[in-house]
Amino acid sequence: MSTTTWGWLVLAFPLAGTILIGLGHKRLGRGPAGAIGTAAILLAFLSAVAALVSLQDHEREHRQLVSSLWDYAVTGSIDARLAILVDPLSVFMMLVITGVSTLIHLYSTSYMKSDRGNARYFAYLNFFVFSMLVLVLAANFFLLIVGWAFVGAASYLLISFWYRRETATKAGIKAFVINVVGDVGLVLGTFFILRHSGTLDFLGTFRAVEEGAFASHNGALVAGCLLLLVGAFAKSAQIPFHTWLPDAMEGPTPVSSLIHAATMVTAGVYLISRMHPLFEHAPAAADVGAIVGCVTLLVAGTIALVQTDIKRVIAYSTMSQIGYMIMGVSAGAYAAGMFHLLTHAFFKALLFMAAGSIIGAMAGAQSLDKMSGFKRSMPFTFGCFVVGGLALSGVPPFSGFFSKDEILAYVGARGDWYVVLYIAGYVGAFLTGIYTWRMIFRAFFNRPSPEAVELEHGHIAHAEFPTNPANGEREDTEVGFPGPEHVVAEREIPMKVAMGLLALGATILGALQIPFVSHVIESFLEPSFEDSTLYSSIHPSDGLVWFGMILGTVLALVGIAIAHFIWVRKPGTSAAIQARFKAVHTFLWHKWYFDELIDFLIVRPWSALGTFCRTWFETVIAEGLLIGGTTGVVKAGSQAVRTLQTGFLRYYAALLLLGGAGVVLYFLIQSS
Amino acid sequence: MTLSILIWLPLVVAVLGAILGAKVAPKLSLVGSLVTLGIAISFVVRFKSGEDGLQFVTDTSWISTLGISYKLGVDGLNVLLLLLAAFLFALVFVYANLREWERPGLFYFWLGVAQTAVLGAFVAQDLILFVAFFDLMLIPFYFLTGIWGNGTREERVRGTQKLVIYTLVGSLLMLVAAIATGVLTAEQHDTRLNFAISALQELPLSKGSQEWIFLCFAAAFLVKMPAFPLHGWLPDGYKAMPLPALGVFSGVLSKVAAYGFLRIVLPVFPDASVHFQELLLLIALGSILYGSVMAFSAQNVRLVVAFSSVAQMGFITLGIFALNEDGAQGALLQMVNHGLVTVPLFFIVGLLAARAGGSEEIKDLGGIAFRAPVLATLFLIVSLATLAMPGSANFAGEFLILLGVFNAKAAFAFFASIGVALAAVYMLRAFIKSMHNRVNPSVDSREISFSDLGVLLPSVVVILALALYPQFGLKKSEQTTKQTVAQVQAKTGQLTADKTSEEQR
Repeated sequence: MSTTTWGWLVLAFPLAGTILIGLGHKRLGRGPAGAIGTAAILLAFLSAVAALVSLQDHEREHRQLVSSLWDYAVTGSIDARLAILVDPLSVFMMLVITGVSTLIHLYSTSYMKSDRGNARYFAYLNFFVFSMLVLVLAANFFLLIVGWAFVGAASYLLISFWYRRETATKAGIKAFVINVVGDVGLVLGTFFILRHSGTLDFLGTFRAVEEGAFASHNGALVAGCLLLLVGAFAKSAQIPFHTWLPDAMEGPTPVSSLIHAATMVTAGVYLISRMHPLFEHAPAAADVGAIVGCVTLLVAGTIALVQTDIKRVIAYSTMSQIGYMIMGVSAGAYAAGMFHLLTHAFFKALLFMAAGSIIGAMAGAQSLDKMSGFKRSMPFTFGCFVVGGLALSGVPPFSGFFSKDEILAYVGARGDWYVVLYIAGYVGAFLTGIYTWRMIFRAFFNRPSPEAVELEHGHIAHAEFPTNPANGEREDTEVGFPGPEHVVAEREIPMKVAMGLLALGATILGALQIPFVSHVIESFLEPSFEDSTLYSSIHPSDGLVWFGMILGTVLALVGIAIAHFIWVRKPGTSAAIQARFKAVHTFLWHKWYFDELIDFLIVRPWSALGTFCRTWFETVIAEGLLIGGTTGVVKAGSQAVRTLQTGFLRYYAALLLLGGAGVVLYFLIQSS
Repeated sequence: MTLSILIWLPLVVAVLGAILGAKVAPKLSLVGSLVTLGIAISFVVRFKSGEDGLQFVTDTSWISTLGISYKLGVDGLNVLLLLLAAFLFALVFVYANLREWERPGLFYFWLGVAQTAVLGAFVAQDLILFVAFFDLMLIPFYFLTGIWGNGTREERVRGTQKLVIYTLVGSLLMLVAAIATGVLTAEQHDTRLNFAISALQELPLSKGSQEWIFLCFAAAFLVKMPAFPLHGWLPDGYKAMPLPALGVFSGVLSKVAAYGFLRIVLPVFPDASVHFQELLLLIALGSILYGSVMAFSAQNVRLVVAFSSVAQMGFITLGIFALNEDGAQGALLQMVNHGLVTVPLFFIVGLLAARAGGSEEIKDLGGIAFRAPVLATLFLIVSLATLAMPGSANFAGEFLILLGVFNAKAAFAFFASIGVALAAVYMLRAFIKSMHNRVNPSVDSREISFSDLGVLLPSVVVILALALYPQFGLKKSEQTTKQTVAQVQAKTGQLTADKTSEEQR
């Protein structure tokens, strides 16, 4: 089979899974839905592997293959076809997405087994993966936007999966609307580019750019790229479009794992890499991307220091790590950015799964204030958490170490003001060590919490009645709420397998790309980036690479040591620091007040406008002045008022119509 | 088979039904509407895309001394709207059949009259004939709302009164304008009176005459749509209309108005269209933003859907007055799309109200999805299509509209795109408030019935099919749209050329 056929199959399996589970949700019991869902994604993964193998058979120069099914909207100045582009970049993304998603599906078969909405869950989950695959396989802007929006919709469905929780539906609509803002950015950005390139097709657009279509319209290209960035920021949770991400924790934990690792938030990183021929011709826009990425990685890092919900801490760590990637690919470190995307997918999926396991042991509670001392009762989860934590904080030889350092080395090598970003990146790395290990030390060390003690005795803790961890509301366990049973990885083989494989990946995947040793990813991705001037011209010096690796290691270890001191050696220190720097703590606790700011600047003015329109404009102008005026004139001209109410309006109306028509007709014909 | 059969069949069936009485009328009307749908499909199948000019033309003299002819024809502008109208009426007849109506003979009679009027307006190729059908459309709705409407008698009278008087004034303006068009054309070009649209198109009026006539037509169409700020009749009018009538009113009648711009205004008054482009774009933008804001703050689901229509019709107007091919193509596609979503949405409003003790207030709804997953899924699909989710045909339409406006007047595209984001807010709000969260104590939560599914499912299937292949519609309309905007575009080109030459001087 040809390479693109494998590409289509990668799309077909998850779609078929969605439809099958969706249509059969009544008949499929809990087991089959999960099995079908997992199998669909596994088959997609195998097809992606086949696509990889078959792509390698092509000459290096001919590794950009397009296949089109039918004309979707070809009219006027648009040429949107249902077409996919299979090249090293899209194959790489397919592999990461389907590979990690398969494990997340597997994990979910255990984690969601008691949920009454089990089949619906797997239908949504398959759809989510399908959407993301459309996004990365799209061969033109139109289909890209379709995939982009599908991902937004799928995330909405899964974030508000427990739809009888008001907190979940609020979080869902927030994510959806912010993502729609991103979609609009993509659409408008596409308009700017289409106007001068004349095609929606990616390869055609890139050719047009190379041939100088924007030579005298660079402003349009910069504007277009900036608008594309709006889309990227919204999906990748970069400031100021990030506020949906922490709230997205309302979804089931495996969903968080999926959103943060394989699908969704990596979309922005992919977009910038895919559009690199445009961004390289619009360096001003690329710089904006790099700076926003850098700011995000710092801001998120500081917020993660004080949050107490375990999932939110991990969520902010994602924001921060995606910040590295966005900064990297905006600066031209495409292979490094993609490498970090890969390693991050592994260790972040792992961390969420491990968190899910603890939450299971806590009977659904998520606050770090309540957890402690799970080290002994949950050795497997603890081990996974440590591996994930080491990879996240960038300790050698774990995977995150190599990928993060590669991004920073490249940014450093850009020289000039990029050095500021370089330094900020290392400050972020230091923060990462602290907040990651704060979480680990608080959850696993010190005196065991009652739930941990119970688990040591062989029981999983159960709350007296189920509650919503976000607001403490009492709930039941029917459809629309979480199921009755809680699970821990220690007792579930699927969870163990999924986490074990991810832990393995998080440990060894760094070997794909070790400075001076291996360049697997770089050389694989090269055909997609060979037209890039940045990619071929910037090379960090050996000294910079060594310096970075040593600095990164030291900062990570110091961060971990500080966390150990504060939360294990001298447990009172945290409270003392909080009291000493109260203002800072409050500021971080409120997440830099972004939610409040957006509420003040956008939400409230629009709702005020809504109230104004409803209560004033509608009654005074639209009805009062215009309707009242018109009907008043009509009424005054006749004695109709009484007849109207006695039901003779029908005759009156007919008469008015005919009479008026007759008079006007007569008059006009006479006058001519 | 001629177009006459298509347009008069519903009336014939309606009269028969009224004569044969209450027992036969509902079923007979249903069968009649299905046959009409079949005939409409046969026209679409036989339609040759890419051909110039009208197809299936009927042209006989009607009132020869006044130059009025009975001329019907189909081209790219109306071929899909014809199908849309036939489809939506069939759906409405199915829906109506599932419910009891007082004096059914009369009820179905008026629905049949409405269908004939709408189909006639779509295929009429003579200006006076168009106006006649356009005005005929109003009469059945007066009775349908007045007799079978919702609410107390007082509310019904108020709604009907506003609807009838307001749109009647618009209609009269249009009648005057139509007659003036023919008379003045004959006068200015010294020819015989001839109201055929194709003939009027050949003989443009002087710029001054075009302008006031344009405003009269625009007023009539904008009231009918309705567009901001001429929508004042909408809240009471929509609340009073019975659901079947409301479905076709919002789904089809509003499209006749938008279609009128493309069929008559742009080709016959090209100078005025260019002259008033920005005014109409402003009205369109106003409709989008105002409709959206009202939709997300409305307290009644029916009004959420109603005001979302105002916003959607704003997008359609925006596309038309981009005055280029992209915009017009997008507008035409969006007319079909909007018709396809608005009818199921109003049906869903009915189903929601049936589960909330008849109330359509948002505060009385909530939490149905739990017991009614199928209804929730269908509602979700229709909602996503309404908010023009990429992947739906609605998005293809909106994309083309915004692109057209972007290339014509970029600023309007930016402001209009705020409406895209707001659409997500109001549609999801309506969906969540009625389907999700805790079950409202006043709600009797149950799944959609099998027969109701028979109404909703076909529309959802069509929405999904068109989402996979919007090119189906775009291909059919492309050729005619090109020609329709060509003349106006020549004027805009002229205008810019004049401006640049002025600047150079």
